[in-house]
Amino acid sequence: MDNPQISPGLHPNCTIVPPYLLVRLAKLDDPRFAQAAAAARASLLRDSQIRQLRGGTHPFAYSGARTLPARTPGQSDRTISDAGGQERLPGRRVRAEGQPAGSDPAVNEAYDGLGATQNLFWTQYGRDSIDGAGLPMDATVHYGKEYDNAFWDGERMVFGDGDGQVFNRFTISSSVIGHELTHGITQFTANLQYQDQSGALNESISDVFGALVEQHAQTQSTDEASWLIGEGLFTDQVEGVALRSMKAPGTAYNDDVLGKDPQPGSMADYVETEEDNGGVHLNSGIPNRAFYLVAEAVGGNAWETPGRIWYDTLTGTGLRRDSDFAAFAAATTETAARLYGSGGTAHDAVLRAWATVGVLTGSE
Amino acid sequence: MKVIVSRSGGMAGIRLTWEVRVEEQPDPATWADFLNSLPWDDVTDSEATPDRFAYRIRCAPHEVVIAEPQVNGPWRDLVNRVRAANGM
Ligand SMILES: [Zn+2]
Repeated sequence: MDNPQISPGLHPNCTIVPPYLLVRLAKLDDPRFAQAAAAARASLLRDSQIRQLRGGTHPFAYSGARTLPARTPGQSDRTISDAGGQERLPGRRVRAEGQPAGSDPAVNEAYDGLGATQNLFWTQYGRDSIDGAGLPMDATVHYGKEYDNAFWDGERMVFGDGDGQVFNRFTISSSVIGHELTHGITQFTANLQYQDQSGALNESISDVFGALVEQHAQTQSTDEASWLIGEGLFTDQVEGVALRSMKAPGTAYNDDVLGKDPQPGSMADYVETEEDNGGVHLNSGIPNRAFYLVAEAVGGNAWETPGRIWYDTLTGTGLRRDSDFAAFAAATTETAARLYGSGGTAHDAVLRAWATVGVLTGSE
Repeated sequence: MKVIVSRSGGMAGIRLTWEVRVEEQPDPATWADFLNSLPWDDVTDSEATPDRFAYRIRCAPHEVVIAEPQVNGPWRDLVNRVRAANGM
């Protein structure tokens, strides 16, 4: 049985309203259902499901009857598979939700990292898994031979072992695991196009929540956190501490073989390139630093006010698939004013951060 | 004649480039035949997906960019051969 947590047909104890039902409720004009319809609309907007359902192009758009998961909201449903060095997915199932840790660190790290990610999103933002509706979290480890990468393939997170010379295994850093899972969340929400500035925002959002997964799990305030993405991923043969630094983009590594970390930290150094989908992993340094600056200005735990502003922006209605840095800056500014008051500390911090990195001008 | 394979993107966003000078290889004729046999004109754009590698492959007058999921068959073979010739 593939999904022991999913029962066939409607489960009487289910407390989760499936999105297709929310859409039906939201469309009801009958005044008798006005309150339910309004609540349904609010719920839809909260999870941003409505855009996917309207568009009809989403790969996971719900179509007609679905089974309902018999699960407690917020309860993670993880499955880790082992590709055994092949590039075939999903691989062999090696650990399901609730099973004890084994001897393979990659399996244990993936399992724990997915749990930490679910924990952040559920406890802090009330988001239940990748789709906001308890989608099972699937990951594959030991993908490929000496594979130097991790990615979200639209359905699952995939982690390579690294080559052992430059890269260790990609599960070694919980910020990397959080990064990949956040790609899934972005796909189900703003679905930012993976090209140029919207692509760099897609990347940055994964770095932001990847960092927050780590900070939240280790209870680190902004002052205490490293603000590094992929700490420990490089072997000790590499001159570098991590893949990226959100606090100081461009300073994560400086190595004979890899060269210097090429990330810019402001628009003055924006990289125009055709490679890497228009430099999505490079220019993400700019919005990454903006987030850090907000966290620094607000103080305390970054997953609280700063994380909430970014999360609400990602899942709200203020972004388009092709939103650029300026549009994202405007949207986060609007979210900060709406949630924490116009002219308040948070609103002011967001405005100043985007001005410092050169995205907004004349905002003082 | 030379072939250059440049891999960008990936979660790490680190670009690596491998180059092979065909005439310096022990079997230059095999290399030349192989390079000429590649389906250079059949490469089509595909939608970018998060954190996958992108391969830019140059062998004058040809230049193609292929997303990692499409690096199959002869292209996969090429990337492996070029990396092997570079010792990694
Ligand atoms: Zn990414």
